[in-house]
Amino acid sequence: MGLAIESRIALTTDLLAHDLLAHERTLPLAESFADLFPEDGLVRGRTLTCTGPAATSLALALLAPVVAAGSWLGIVDVPTVGLDAASEFGLPLERVVAINREQEGGEEAEKHWSQRWPDVMAAAVDGFDVLLARVPAGVRPSAVRKLATRVRQRGAVVVVLGDPGPTTCDGVLHGEPIGWSGVGDGYGYLQQRAVTVQASGRRWPGHGRRELLLPAS
Amino acid sequence: MGEQPPRFVTVWVPDWPVTAAGFAADVPAAVMHANRVIARTSAAATEGVVVGQRRRQAQSRCPHIELADHDPDRDARQFEPVVRAVAEISPRLDVIEPGWISLAARGPARYFGGDVALAEQLIATVGKELSVGEQVGVGVADGRFASSVAARLAVRHRKPVVVADGESPAFCTGLPIGWLQTLGESDIEFVELLTRLGLRRLGDLAELSAADVLGRFGQPGVHAHLLASGVDIRPPSTTDPAPERRLDQVFDDPADQSGAVIFVAKQLADEVAGSLTADGRVCTRLVVLLESEHGERSERSWYRSGGLSAPAMVERVRWQVDAWISLPKGSDEELSGGISLIRLTPDEVRADTGSQLGLWGGQSAADRQASRAIARLTTLTSESAVTVPVWRGGRLPADRYQWVPAGMVDLDRRTRAVSRDGTGSGPSGPWPGALPSPSPATVFTDPHPIEMLDEQGATVKVNGRGVISSRPAVLRLLSGDASSGWRPGRARPIVGWAGPWPVEERWWEPEAHRRLARFQVVTDDHNGYLVIAEHQRWWISARYD
Repeated sequence: MGLAIESRIALTTDLLAHDLLAHERTLPLAESFADLFPEDGLVRGRTLTCTGPAATSLALALLAPVVAAGSWLGIVDVPTVGLDAASEFGLPLERVVAINREQEGGEEAEKHWSQRWPDVMAAAVDGFDVLLARVPAGVRPSAVRKLATRVRQRGAVVVVLGDPGPTTCDGVLHGEPIGWSGVGDGYGYLQQRAVTVQASGRRWPGHGRRELLLPAS
Repeated sequence: MGEQPPRFVTVWVPDWPVTAAGFAADVPAAVMHANRVIARTSAAATEGVVVGQRRRQAQSRCPHIELADHDPDRDARQFEPVVRAVAEISPRLDVIEPGWISLAARGPARYFGGDVALAEQLIATVGKELSVGEQVGVGVADGRFASSVAARLAVRHRKPVVVADGESPAFCTGLPIGWLQTLGESDIEFVELLTRLGLRRLGDLAELSAADVLGRFGQPGVHAHLLASGVDIRPPSTTDPAPERRLDQVFDDPADQSGAVIFVAKQLADEVAGSLTADGRVCTRLVVLLESEHGERSERSWYRSGGLSAPAMVERVRWQVDAWISLPKGSDEELSGGISLIRLTPDEVRADTGSQLGLWGGQSAADRQASRAIARLTTLTSESAVTVPVWRGGRLPADRYQWVPAGMVDLDRRTRAVSRDGTGSGPSGPWPGALPSPSPATVFTDPHPIEMLDEQGATVKVNGRGVISSRPAVLRLLSGDASSGWRPGRARPIVGWAGPWPVEERWWEPEAHRRLARFQVVTDDHNGYLVIAEHQRWWISARYD
């Protein structure tokens, strides 16, 4: 019995090591985004930006499968994120942590936050696999470069919402809504939205363009 | 085998969350967490609804099923009468979680005339607190683990399961290895590993030598091996805590709000957990005593095999306070004044083997890393800046979740009820009057003021019966602020709109009373907004971003 078990343990360890390698470089990618990305998954260490009027939905749809697979999501300075929408995209809320600025408004508070931001992001990158963040206006380019190195080393994925500022992004997903279905002139309710997603950036050979339905039916 | 495990009796109410949610056993209903069924009524069970199923699957098996969201606080609150009833039989009981109580069996068994008599007494007592048709399982065995398994089997057999004195090892041998995970003793990865290794029964694990198990699996393995061998002499290194570990706080001003009590509890819990951690120990049983200014007392003992972290302690205090506050008027021990004393006593401590994080269904490496990052971020910013969402419910998107400081929430427990492969979405169960999905992706905490104009450029009005004065045609953003006056900004033609859906909230509380109407509006640039009209003013409360 003892010997059989030992050999099984050895075999299992090998299998596990193999599995790990395949998962090491990428995080799961939603099916609807598969055509847009040159790789099979969300490559670790990258920074992406979501822009346009459908940016938040795009980001949530992109991140949901990653969090569903066991990763944690840190949301930095996006206090407006709609949690109902997130959970409808399949994002489990028990692995969501929000980090918000302590005080709002005022030039002083803004400056204080943009100085703090790189440290907060660095600590968040250490702990969470994926981050959804806004970049404050006055953040220093040198601090951003340091952060990018940290993201690569840690193998996290950062999704920037809106203006990336001095951040160098590996890709930009721009979502432009085409139209809503379900609502008429005084009746119905919003059901589904068609969005054109345009992918560009230095990691995209050629430019990807695709129509998506949010939420996917 | 040296030490004899203490004899335990366990009471197990299956699917407690669904009972706590107020569903009768003959109504098909289920409680959902993270889009999966975590508890269902027996009527739903006969239609093929099983725990772990997704919402869709459950609905397709049983189309008329009623669903409710999971609320651990409600579970604890509703369980209070059961705990009180059992405490009449023996005051020394451990609430492991709502629906699950363990107590030492030897004393009460002698009093009632044997294990079987005790079990029947417990079934009768607990049965009185439940409605008709709900089941109770009672199991008696040596050791907490074996008696908990027995209690669950008792539900299946519809009669108490009593494992005779000294028979626990034999009882455990034939059990599937998955019980270790079901009862939260080992994490799922460990159990899966054992299964892959061909150890499918507890007996297979028990056969291995303890030294080999320690060498290969470390402390979690030794723990599982002990349980599998039926020698659950827990806690192995229990010592009476030194009296200085007992911490209490007398309120100069009796606290009549649970928030104030929780705040103090958090400080005490941090101190208790901190001083235990400092010498490498962890508290597995915590006694929480609350006293009111009028001398009423509530004392509970909370047990958790993996050890109670400071947030876990705070959560238990919160359950206890909530349960006490919501006791019906006129019952014994009803709370009639503010709370004037809180005392936390770590009643059982053991050496911290470092495995406590992995229990209760398991924390993954990502979870551990995340909880470290949360601690780091909290020191970097502030306690209130690092938050996690807690379901609250409501008709407006901004009301439905509350962001609670991460230090106040037991993060282990949040992950526990979620299955590992969980791809489920969160709770968005039936909240009467909430708008159907999709929900807005951007929710403003402070709604943005707008003007809603009809084709003639006049402001659209909504009357008390929810009827609008004219068709909305143009939405105009306002900029500025309340003090310097609002200036009209960009105007956008409206291409589609729906509503009004009126909301009347808290009409019984004059200060919190709100009456408003909701609209969904699509502008010509294909942006969707959730717009509310309140007191003849219009606001954007959320954007379908």
